[in-house]
Amino acid sequence: MTKTVHALAVLGVVLACAGVGGQAPPAPAAASAPAPGFDLSGYWTAAMHEDALERGAGPELGDYGGFPINEAARLFALSYNASRVTLRHHQCDGYVAPYSVRSIGNARAWEERDPHTQRLIAIHWYNQTFEGHRIIWMDGRPHPPAYAPHTWMGFSTGRFVGNALEVQTTHLKQGWLRRNGLPESDQATLVEFFVRHGDHLTHTSVITDPVYLTEPEVRTTDFFRQHTDHQSWLFACDDGEQILGRAPDNVPNYAFGENPFVSEFGAKYRIPPAAYLGGAETAYPEISGRLAGFTDADGAARQRPAAGPWVTSRAVDPEPRDGAVHVWPLRNNVYMLVGDEANIIVQVGDEGVFVVDSGSGRLADRTIAEIRRLSDRPIQFIANTSFRAEHTGGNAKLRAAGLDPSVRGSFFALQFADAGVGATIMSHQNVQTRMVAAKRPAEGVPSDTFLEERRRTFHNNDAIEMFWEPNASTDGDSIVHFRSADVIVAGDVFTTTQYPMIDLSNGGSVQGEIQALNDILKRTVYRHEGEGGTIVVPGHGYVCDEHEVVEYRDMLVIVRDRMQAMVKKGATLAQVKAARLTADYDTRYGATSGAWTTDMFVEAVFRDLSKRK
Amino acid sequence: MRLGSSCSAMLLTLTSVLTSTALAQRGGPPQPPTPRAQAPFDITGYWVSLVSEDWRYRVTTPPKGDFAGVPLNGTGRQVALAWDPAKDEAAGESCKAYGAAGLMRVPGRLHISWTNDDALSIEADAGTQTRTIAFRGPRGSGGGWQGLSIGSWDRGESAMARGGFFPGAAARGGSLKVITTGMKAGYLRKNGVPYSAEAELTEYFDRFDLPNGDALLVVSTELVDPTYLSTPFWTSTHFKKQPDSAGWNPRPCSAR
Repeated sequence: MTKTVHALAVLGVVLACAGVGGQAPPAPAAASAPAPGFDLSGYWTAAMHEDALERGAGPELGDYGGFPINEAARLFALSYNASRVTLRHHQCDGYVAPYSVRSIGNARAWEERDPHTQRLIAIHWYNQTFEGHRIIWMDGRPHPPAYAPHTWMGFSTGRFVGNALEVQTTHLKQGWLRRNGLPESDQATLVEFFVRHGDHLTHTSVITDPVYLTEPEVRTTDFFRQHTDHQSWLFACDDGEQILGRAPDNVPNYAFGENPFVSEFGAKYRIPPAAYLGGAETAYPEISGRLAGFTDADGAARQRPAAGPWVTSRAVDPEPRDGAVHVWPLRNNVYMLVGDEANIIVQVGDEGVFVVDSGSGRLADRTIAEIRRLSDRPIQFIANTSFRAEHTGGNAKLRAAGLDPSVRGSFFALQFADAGVGATIMSHQNVQTRMVAAKRPAEGVPSDTFLEERRRTFHNNDAIEMFWEPNASTDGDSIVHFRSADVIVAGDVFTTTQYPMIDLSNGGSVQGEIQALNDILKRTVYRHEGEGGTIVVPGHGYVCDEHEVVEYRDMLVIVRDRMQAMVKKGATLAQVKAARLTADYDTRYGATSGAWTTDMFVEAVFRDLSKRK
Repeated sequence: MRLGSSCSAMLLTLTSVLTSTALAQRGGPPQPPTPRAQAPFDITGYWVSLVSEDWRYRVTTPPKGDFAGVPLNGTGRQVALAWDPAKDEAAGESCKAYGAAGLMRVPGRLHISWTNDDALSIEADAGTQTRTIAFRGPRGSGGGWQGLSIGSWDRGESAMARGGFFPGAAARGGSLKVITTGMKAGYLRKNGVPYSAEAELTEYFDRFDLPNGDALLVVSTELVDPTYLSTPFWTSTHFKKQPDSAGWNPRPCSAR
């Protein structure tokens, strides 16, 4: 009886209230149950009671203890010479998200809510150091595809789980696990947990990096809340000349086993190198009991590549390989088409479509269909960065699908019935020469060629320049720069998927390839803290900016330096291969099968350098 | 708008009145669930520390006077500079770095279990120490290395969730909050960085489950010590869940 009375009373009030509330339109079902969260907003200061020296003044050289790094990461770090930050393109390098959170400096967080529904769209986290502005999307949007650009902060999505904000981040740039050279690759992904206990915030980061870690790397960082504005939120950086007269192909580095500072840490703190040079075993309690047992030989062994076979890349394949051609907007009226092997670039506008490279041709009909979606104007120009089939295989079909009104309406049409019928294909002369020599179908061979320096045109209100890069990957490579859109199409001079394909038999060379990469870097301008700005589209792989190019250039220069040293000492190809001079890069770029293996790359570099000895 | 607020208040008031009336008629409130039953996550099992922070300070005994990062005051620095492990050994105080304020930072494994419905046991193989977290009042008189620890579940409940009318607003999860006092004076680091018997330790234990199946236990710590610290000392220490007792290696305290 009592229960019945109570139930009726409550029901009455509820119904009365429902009547009042009923005047408002009903909320959609998805919006009716907001996720239970907590407020991260405010000013936060890192406590800095852990790893204080590392996070403040900076880490000691060679101190990698507790990091579950693999051989590649250790060798990369030991090869790292801090003078590398004097290079123009490294001077303003930002920190990647997990290192940014761990760094010295203050942070600020705020919410972004839909003004109409008050649903949480995103949480912004701004780190003072390098102005690291993270956007943690809370609206359920998916992560971008593998061919999308990478940034210092990556792409983050979050949700509240239990009492934590759980954040998943992908698309990070290559950066630091620790800023004494210990790398985190562009393949790293991040899971974080933000938990607030009153004004004490604990941040847990879990980095998974198939390239440089053998198991996830975990760190926890404490922040305490401040009530007043920290005020200085900017991190001024602009690059300039720091060392005059340095050759453009000079990248400071140490050869394997020759880092002069590696023993300092051990001597200072009486810890054996085999322990402080890191590895998963150094993160577990047993390491304390093993310190006395490590020998000098154990330490020395960790400073050079172990004997063994080539290691293959652990990077994600950026190609969708789903039989479709995907469109990724770049800037202004320029798009990237992905799916038919080499990347295709499309510029659209009133004058007609300008295409750079045509893919393998296997998906040419789909490529044409996607171009039609972007523009109803004809394909007028096709520029080829290389003669290789994955860049030119679609030439014939794309040409046939287009036309060149600039020729059609000229006196050429009075001489040649087919003038301007089909798009005009342009390239360096050596592309034409090699395609003709290879007996490629005539309708797909470039007819508009140039011999020296550059080919230029002003099209769709943009200045487009093709620069010949002699003797890079081959002798016919070009890079294409859309100046207004500021997009550089690199062709096979630069990829994110493999070592540079230095094709000696078709005129490629190590030094030409380095020169070509530096030519790209001469034209790039970053937008902010070493990222953004000029877009660089690799021949294969994801959309980049200058940071990926400079890391790639560094890699090639460093491998060249190591190889050069052995060649000068008279080493044989077998000895060079046994030395595993690419051991710190194989987990990122290596291949043991396919068209361009590590073995082939090493042999090409060796033969080229031996020839020039 | 004002009408809506009034209705919420009416509902809350009415429910409180009716509920209290009904309970009185039944002859007393039901027994609340035990702390063990209220646990928002499973904290039990074996956990191994991942020593990825303060590595040098934790896997080795740092040199005397190396107390970077610890906000010692002048007195604290003097005490740290007077560290003498031989003296500690002679005094039978080799466990000074294994007290509650320092124990979680000592590399090792934890075995966490419920001793009964009201108390958790945290055993550490490093130094063979045991902490008891009592949820219903302190047990013992304190004064030992591990002091007296009182536990509670710190739930992120919103105001809307309290009262039970809005189940959709109920926050999930929560932390184990532990406040420890009555510790015997000890060391934050093995090289004699001190905390005093007046120190108060507040810890939050959180469990995070990772996409790869691993589970982490993160202990966020605030140590307030009016004797030796100039500001609170904040650290967070993480452990990975182990499937079993592999590696469990009880060993005595070491002063060096």
